[in-house]
Amino acid sequence: MAKQGFLKSALAGVGFLRKASAPDFPGIDDPDPERQGQALFRRGRYRMRAGEVEDAVKDFDRAIELLPDYAEAHVSRAECLDMLGRVEAAQPDYVAARRLWAATRTGAPDRSYIWRQQGRLTFEVESYELALERIKTGSYPHSAVGNALMARGRPAEALKAYERALKIKDKDPALLALKGEALSAMGRHRSAVDAFSASLKAVPRAPEVLSGRAIAYAALGRIDKANVDWRRQLAVLPEHQSAARACVALRLGAWAEALPELDRAIEKAPDDPYWRLYRLTALKRLDRPAEAVDVPPGDWPAPLFALHAGKATPETVLAAATTEGRRIEALFQLERFKDVVETAPPHMIEYAAARNALGR
Amino acid sequence: MFSVIIYGRNDQHGYNLHKRAAISFNALAEVMSDPDDEILFVDYNTPDDHPTFPEAIADTLTDKAKQHMRILRVRPEQHVHLKSKTHLVALESQSRNVALRRSNPKNRWILYTNTDMLLVPRTEGESLSDILGALPDGFYQIPRFEIPEMLWEAAFDRKDPAGNLAKLRDWSVRFHLNQVVHNFMPMKYDALGDFQAVLREDMFAIHGFDESMILGWHCDSNLAARLALYRGRVDTLMDKAFGYHCDHTRVAAANNKGRKTTMNSHDKYIWNVSSPYIPEQAETWGWPDATIEEVRLDRDTSYERYIAGLSQAIEPATVPFTNTSVEWHLFDDLTYDLRHTLPFVCDQVLTYPKSTAILVAGCRADFIQRFATAWRGMGFTGPVLVPQEVGLAVDDPAIRRGRFADQLKRADLFMFEFGLATQKIDDPVRVGREESLADRRQLKAVERLFRRAASTEGETRPKGRQTPRRFIGINVIYNKYWPIFTDYVGANINPFCAQVLAGIPLAEPVTMKEKVILKFKKKKAS
Repeated sequence: MAKQGFLKSALAGVGFLRKASAPDFPGIDDPDPERQGQALFRRGRYRMRAGEVEDAVKDFDRAIELLPDYAEAHVSRAECLDMLGRVEAAQPDYVAARRLWAATRTGAPDRSYIWRQQGRLTFEVESYELALERIKTGSYPHSAVGNALMARGRPAEALKAYERALKIKDKDPALLALKGEALSAMGRHRSAVDAFSASLKAVPRAPEVLSGRAIAYAALGRIDKANVDWRRQLAVLPEHQSAARACVALRLGAWAEALPELDRAIEKAPDDPYWRLYRLTALKRLDRPAEAVDVPPGDWPAPLFALHAGKATPETVLAAATTEGRRIEALFQLERFKDVVETAPPHMIEYAAARNALGR
Repeated sequence: MFSVIIYGRNDQHGYNLHKRAAISFNALAEVMSDPDDEILFVDYNTPDDHPTFPEAIADTLTDKAKQHMRILRVRPEQHVHLKSKTHLVALESQSRNVALRRSNPKNRWILYTNTDMLLVPRTEGESLSDILGALPDGFYQIPRFEIPEMLWEAAFDRKDPAGNLAKLRDWSVRFHLNQVVHNFMPMKYDALGDFQAVLREDMFAIHGFDESMILGWHCDSNLAARLALYRGRVDTLMDKAFGYHCDHTRVAAANNKGRKTTMNSHDKYIWNVSSPYIPEQAETWGWPDATIEEVRLDRDTSYERYIAGLSQAIEPATVPFTNTSVEWHLFDDLTYDLRHTLPFVCDQVLTYPKSTAILVAGCRADFIQRFATAWRGMGFTGPVLVPQEVGLAVDDPAIRRGRFADQLKRADLFMFEFGLATQKIDDPVRVGREESLADRRQLKAVERLFRRAASTEGETRPKGRQTPRRFIGINVIYNKYWPIFTDYVGANINPFCAQVLAGIPLAEPVTMKEKVILKFKKKKAS
């Protein structure tokens, strides 16, 4: 505010309103449901702000028809219904939004926080773009937009956003680390290592940046260097971050180190099946007996538990693995480490764990 | 399920603070239903001789509020290293982090709010514990609605939180109170600091509030900016609860000087935040190594300690009243009623840490004896340091005898008593008694120690201590020790009846001799 000045900041909204009088919603007629759904969402939000609440509800209705898992549209429709006094009608939408967000599987807890963000984040992107109408000297909206784009799988656009942020906050270690993540996601691992290294030079004890560089090194085939970074990450991760510590230990193939961390992670999040699964994996790798884990048959990763219990064959497990990620998890549990290394993306825990298992 | 974190101090921050805070504490407790829920109030930098803020208003709090409240007291000595860097007397980030570090680890949620908020679940009968218990992980805010000063001040009954919440449900409709004020992301709503529900684990991961923000304002926005990065989203909880703020702008608070208000940089702490983390405070946030006293309102209260101490030291009176006098001709009579005075003496020390080491130099052995008994009875664990130079034969498990010079460097608090060594407990008071030789000798010894302690206080502080130590004078009103004591100590004018004065040493003692010299010099100059 200080740099913007009171008057300038007060008048900035006028500029926005003038521009907002002729809104444009690209993709509103696009045949692609994703593009059209997001455009409808944006128009709905615009109408909400303009006081056209009933029309906004219609846009959100249509967006949800096109994209039933569109949590942001559910919550926005709920807010509209709520403000119209239709409180009862709003409730299911609030509940649906929370359920949808909670059901999204997030990235591993030892990686950058940006990989743990859920949803399409359309509202956030729109809001930060709105903030950019006023905030000319702040890097925050750029990096926040970049993070949302990363979560939506658009690293090239995210990289541009981070570079805009870096123009404002030159050599900022946190922004350099975000740039590294974007480069890594684009497959530009060598440049990613450089960005992470520059960040670590300023803040050497940054666990998530060490993780980012380790993954980039692993992708470049330098598992030795990656392991050094993961070791350092494990050394600086606080004890209370047991899930993150477990993930790093798993990547290193340090099964004995992983076990107590996994026990603590299970204690904190008993409903997360992956900690139990990785615990079984660690026990098996250590040739220790494992008690049966009672997981009802059904959704993934239940077939992997069945495999450990001897109740499923490799063929049935692989058949149940309907996505690339699941297939890699299945191959890993089947100890087909060579296949894992050849097909898995380097950021997966299974990739590094398999590399390290093969290395031994 | 959740820990509410709020902060303040025993002062007057804005209009009718006592009522606002009582309304708020009681209302917060009212919507708690899990035994692990807690209201963590950080009492920041209240002067040592004052009780904490919640203690000061304890009579207006409900039993439920007292049960759920934990008061974490940050002493002026713990704040002093920051004093020169800020104009504020209470620091938000430090306070909230001290509480976060010490919050109940069983609780999944931390709720940041302030001492003038009422949270109203939209479904009657539902508790905030139920609401938060059913929520998926996330970072939640609700909009803040204002309550006009007239309404909360005139119509709320501090001790009827359920009634107050019911009134709000009615008023919100009748007086159109519920207006959502949207804000730029990442703030989502205006005045967001009055409700930010965060996972405890997330707060630890991002290293708490930014402790470099010591100029006031925007700590809440900075937190929102960092959590919005960390989580990606800011979720609303407005479908579950509304938050109402007791407006208090009739009188500007200390941190509000209109357009001249000093504040943390908006640019630096919001628009140029680039990371959720604060690596430079990763190991130190919330002062993990500091000993923070915890005060409860539902057990071991100051009042209970006071009663316990005095009950052990004095017996109840057997007569309806006793007498003393301030008549001029009794000015030199140093007798006083010890049993009457001791409650006022104990009142001076009760708010100090239990580990306090107090140096007591006195003329009357029975005073020291009874004070030491009361000291232990009040739960103090620190020693009563009695200089061997006073030469009194007193014995108590709390008493440590030693060289005055050594004890000076150990004491946290000083007490000097100027009575007659020969006075017995049942002797008449202020009837024109003269000092005996033994009395005079003892008085001289104590006076000498007092002058030395007061004039060298700055140089003899315990290692690391920066704040001046307090001096308590007993029997120093309306007798010859009044000017002597106040030459060295900046004390208020107190009623004679209490017999007690207290304060910190003056920067430059002004003795009677110096006063005469100054007067002479002035005369000569003119």
